[in-house]
Amino acid sequence: MSRKILLIDDEPAIVEVTRATLEILAGWAVIAASSGSEGVALAAAEQPDAILLDVMMPDMDGPRTLKDLQAGARTGDIPVVFLTAKVQAADIRRFRNLGAAGVIAKPFDPLRLASEVSSILGWKTERGKSAEVEG
Amino acid sequence: MPRILMGGFDADLKDFLKQRLNGYPITRVSDAQEILEELAGGSVSLLIFDQELEGALGSPAVEELRNDPRWVELPVIYYARQGAVDEVVGKLEDMRFCKTLLPPLDPDEVARQTAQALGIILTPSEDALKVEQAVTQARARFLEVIAARLETIDRAGMSLLEGHLTPDLREAARREAHKLAGLLGTIGFPAGSRFARELEEILGRGGQSSPVQAIRYSELAVALRLDTEKPASGLPPVNPPCGERPASILIVDSDDDLSERVEAEALAHGVRVQRANDFAHAGQMIREDTFDVALADLLLSGKEEEGLDFIESLAIRTPSVPVIVLTSKETLTDRVEVARRSGHGFLARSSSASKILEAALKLVDRLHSGDAKVMAVDDDPQILSLLFSLLESRGISIKTLDDPTQFWKCLETFAPDLLVLDVDMPKLGGLELCRVVRNDPRWAETPIVFLTAHNDSATIQSVFSAGADDFVSKPIVGPELMTRIFNRLERSRMLRRMLETDFLTGAFNRHKSTQMIADFIDLSRKHEQPFSLAVIEMENLEQINAGHGQTAGDLALDRTARLLQNAFRSEDVFGRWSGCEFVVGMYGLTRYDGVQRLMGLLERINKEAFESPEGGKFSVVLSAGLAQFPDDGINLEELYKAAVQARAGAGPTEVCKAAAARSSAGKQGDSQNADVALVMRDEAQASLLTHTLESHGYRTRWIQNGRSAEKLLAGSQPQIHSRVILMEVDLPNLDGISLLKQLGSDGVLQKTRVIMLTTPSVANEAQAVLELGAFDSVAKPLNPPVIAQHVRRALDAA
Repeated sequence: MSRKILLIDDEPAIVEVTRATLEILAGWAVIAASSGSEGVALAAAEQPDAILLDVMMPDMDGPRTLKDLQAGARTGDIPVVFLTAKVQAADIRRFRNLGAAGVIAKPFDPLRLASEVSSILGWKTERGKSAEVEG
Repeated sequence: MPRILMGGFDADLKDFLKQRLNGYPITRVSDAQEILEELAGGSVSLLIFDQELEGALGSPAVEELRNDPRWVELPVIYYARQGAVDEVVGKLEDMRFCKTLLPPLDPDEVARQTAQALGIILTPSEDALKVEQAVTQARARFLEVIAARLETIDRAGMSLLEGHLTPDLREAARREAHKLAGLLGTIGFPAGSRFARELEEILGRGGQSSPVQAIRYSELAVALRLDTEKPASGLPPVNPPCGERPASILIVDSDDDLSERVEAEALAHGVRVQRANDFAHAGQMIREDTFDVALADLLLSGKEEEGLDFIESLAIRTPSVPVIVLTSKETLTDRVEVARRSGHGFLARSSSASKILEAALKLVDRLHSGDAKVMAVDDDPQILSLLFSLLESRGISIKTLDDPTQFWKCLETFAPDLLVLDVDMPKLGGLELCRVVRNDPRWAETPIVFLTAHNDSATIQSVFSAGADDFVSKPIVGPELMTRIFNRLERSRMLRRMLETDFLTGAFNRHKSTQMIADFIDLSRKHEQPFSLAVIEMENLEQINAGHGQTAGDLALDRTARLLQNAFRSEDVFGRWSGCEFVVGMYGLTRYDGVQRLMGLLERINKEAFESPEGGKFSVVLSAGLAQFPDDGINLEELYKAAVQARAGAGPTEVCKAAAARSSAGKQGDSQNADVALVMRDEAQASLLTHTLESHGYRTRWIQNGRSAEKLLAGSQPQIHSRVILMEVDLPNLDGISLLKQLGSDGVLQKTRVIMLTTPSVANEAQAVLELGAFDSVAKPLNPPVIAQHVRRALDAA
């Protein structure tokens, strides 16, 4: 089953890598927004299956964006996974309490990203599209 | 050439595997009988087996396979298409499959498991290669952007050094560092991510930074730039595995050159290093930051006492910081004093930086591995993440697993002290896992705590009947779960202690010490090192019990055991084998060394004043016997017998007289070996020397005249092999000089050292015997302790 993922991140290199790995390894379609406000609009219009949200962005940061998404009638139910370069246990708890489905630490391993997202969201990985790292 | 044998499956899977396994040969067959035929043909290194294979499950062919000793070691990967989970787990056990796969069949998983079982490296899948390609392109495209970011970071560094970093620039640089920390590892610069993260930390502290921080900052900035200019390391890099963070080291030393070398080495290994020039500064840094280990110069302040105080202060804080002392001189008193203050060892200042770093990291590993390890299996990643943060903050290393099919692999590699299992999981439930764990002797004692969404009595009952130790119902309440996990860990440690130690004395019990001694004997055999076994008995325990009461006897045993235990090295095995009998295994020690050690010790303890609860005074009487591997026995049983026999020869008034069983057996004429052969006329003198030498642990043979000595000791095949011959010149029947010549011409002197007992009144006698090949000479009259010293020297040289 093909899924649509919205990535909200102001870092073009991250967008490029994420798009490549999710499309190649999981067969998901990736759309991207480079700011929180753009992301909220895109989420309402595109209705993605899940949103990957960077925490630290100028103007509107991740938690603020999450709040707007939760408040939106068409975006409130879309699961959100935070991407963050801060990986303290306390931060993870805080993001959880805000209502995030999970947290993925940056830097992430491109080969594992799809399986991490799947496991947080309880999605089954598509057959033959395993996203595990090969040693 | 080794090959994989594939029973069942389709040709596509075979082709796929062959490609992923870099062309490893694969034979595919489609019935169970063929499997046996192929196996008989030889060179099969692994069998992959499909349940659907005709008649496979429970068929005689498969049973035959597993019962045939030739294939017992053959790894088998089993694909279970159908059947209840219980049944599959049962099969897993019965048939000793190394891995069971469950539907849906994932070719990648088959490839991974196969590669793992064979210990070969997988060729990346085409998809993985495509991703790597995309990452490489992204890296190339964004290198300039990264360089621009580094400029901001560098500018902030310059300002920091000059002491006027503006808040705006600080914030801009922090933002860039944060972004780089998140990005670099993802595109192949894992070390870069770590440097950037530390830069972010320094910038995040606010205020004006100290000069030390400013220098640290600029070093990191340089390291970061160098890292991004290197070709990227291959994927996958990135996050340290769960529960790990880069190690951090504090160097407390005034030698900048040494510190810099270690720091450079550390940076290259992704290890964080901070430096302090004096103890006060170091103390402050330790209060503000977390360090895994400190390297310190004991004489930094010029006063050793201050250095020792510093070591001690780190040992008693929580969490404690282990210290390795960097030193240019190393004396025994230093070692003792440092150990007493809980320091963790010495390194020469002249050691290479890589050696110093290696020692530091090894120490960290060793200390961490002492911590409790918990493995949690739950299909709910939220629960796992919660467990992770709860346990990690308490210093417990935790491994989380959301896929129960990976359970065994993880269990074997992580070797947890406690398991947390979820009851309801798809594929393999916690109850099934628990039963399997309980049936494996290696893990049967591991405490298991269950998490369950239901707390009805049926669930609870099934949890306990599967072998659980405890359960916690969901939703998880942090403190409750922690308490239960800690209780279980504590109890299992206590249980282990109870299983291994004697409750009265705290010594190892017979079972445990037997195991350990047997291991040491194996080690001695392998490394050709001596090993000595001592049997120590408290001879008057019955009298103490009778005269002062059982409690007094118990107290005496307890105190004696502790006195003994304190005197032995930590690597000695000290066990209590029966009521009044202790056994000590000493690796690397000869019987002689062991006797030296025990003599003084037993004498001291025998002089100790003991007191009964009623105030009655008494003392204990200890005696001991020693035996050495392999001279007195080649296994524990023989050594024990020999030591007991040696002890029996020691009267209660003598502290310790060690003689081997064989030397007494030698009186019956069946001994072929001795440490010292005494060739002398006078029986009283011989008996005096025998006693002295045997009390030093040497086996002796006394031969009264020259002719008998010639018969026993000379010739190309002497009847008695003795390492040292102690003989008089003036002997009946055949004189010592002639005997010495005979020994020389028979080649005996090549293996045996001769010490001649010479008469001072005979001119040049000493010189003459040395010229004839004697190793040493001692002038009469006989002084037993002096002779013992000469014997010792001759044996050392032998």
